[in-house]
Amino acid sequence: MTCREAIDVLADFVDGVMPPELVAELERHLAGCDPCRAFLATYRKTRALGAAAGHLEMPAEMRARLRRFLADKLRTT
Amino acid sequence: MLARAATGDAEALEMLMTRYSGRVYRLAYGITRSAPDAEEVVQDVFLQIINKGAGFEGRAALGSWIYRITTNLSLNKRRGKRRELETSLDELLPTFLPDGHRAGDRAFLVADWSETPDRALLSGESRRVLEAAIDRLPEHYRAVLILRDVEELSNEEVAQIVGDSVAAVKTRLHRARMAMREQLTRHLGAGA
Repeated sequence: MTCREAIDVLADFVDGVMPPELVAELERHLAGCDPCRAFLATYRKTRALGAAAGHLEMPAEMRARLRRFLADKLRTT
Repeated sequence: MLARAATGDAEALEMLMTRYSGRVYRLAYGITRSAPDAEEVVQDVFLQIINKGAGFEGRAALGSWIYRITTNLSLNKRRGKRRELETSLDELLPTFLPDGHRAGDRAFLVADWSETPDRALLSGESRRVLEAAIDRLPEHYRAVLILRDVEELSNEEVAQIVGDSVAAVKTRLHRARMAMREQLTRHLGAGA
């Protein structure tokens, strides 16, 4: 497996949807390739950071406006 | 619950909001990257839930349907806006020689900054770089990113929601993560 092939399959590997035989092949490549190990570690961290950044709460005032908006709509329909 | 909400039942409406407003807002903001636009999308989505959702009562498909209309309304809201922030992802993806080994200007960007604490990465300049990296993604990439990595849906569920193939979803997700990783590495790599 080349570096390009290793990088191409990282999403499936990180997401746990990769066939076992391919996992073994990737792990063999990673064992001998420092740059790809660094790439994998930062790729995995990037996924976690993106998830953390996206975990937003709807602001309370927006929720209150939504409640009023829907109540008004339902009254007039 | 949907039928009761449609008649103006305040308790049913509250239950609907409790169950879905957070998810709808996260996805709408994640795609539009604008709180005012996301708020309009949330209002439109809830109108559709009340007006058209009765047929989904008690069915597992309701969640997917809500994600689908949220995605569509958010993408419509984005149409023609802030294009200038979205650049080609190609310049943010790794490059390789024909034999598959690393090559090109970005070949050196393999610094491992993954041990940096989340607290540091999610604040200050690093947070700004992260948010800018998300802003630079095309909106249909952001839709996939939010549905997979924030809402934790499967590739198959996301494909159904965005109306594309599983292969296309996986490609967008991978390219989005790699583009974000590259920008974070440009910022953090020198100190790693």
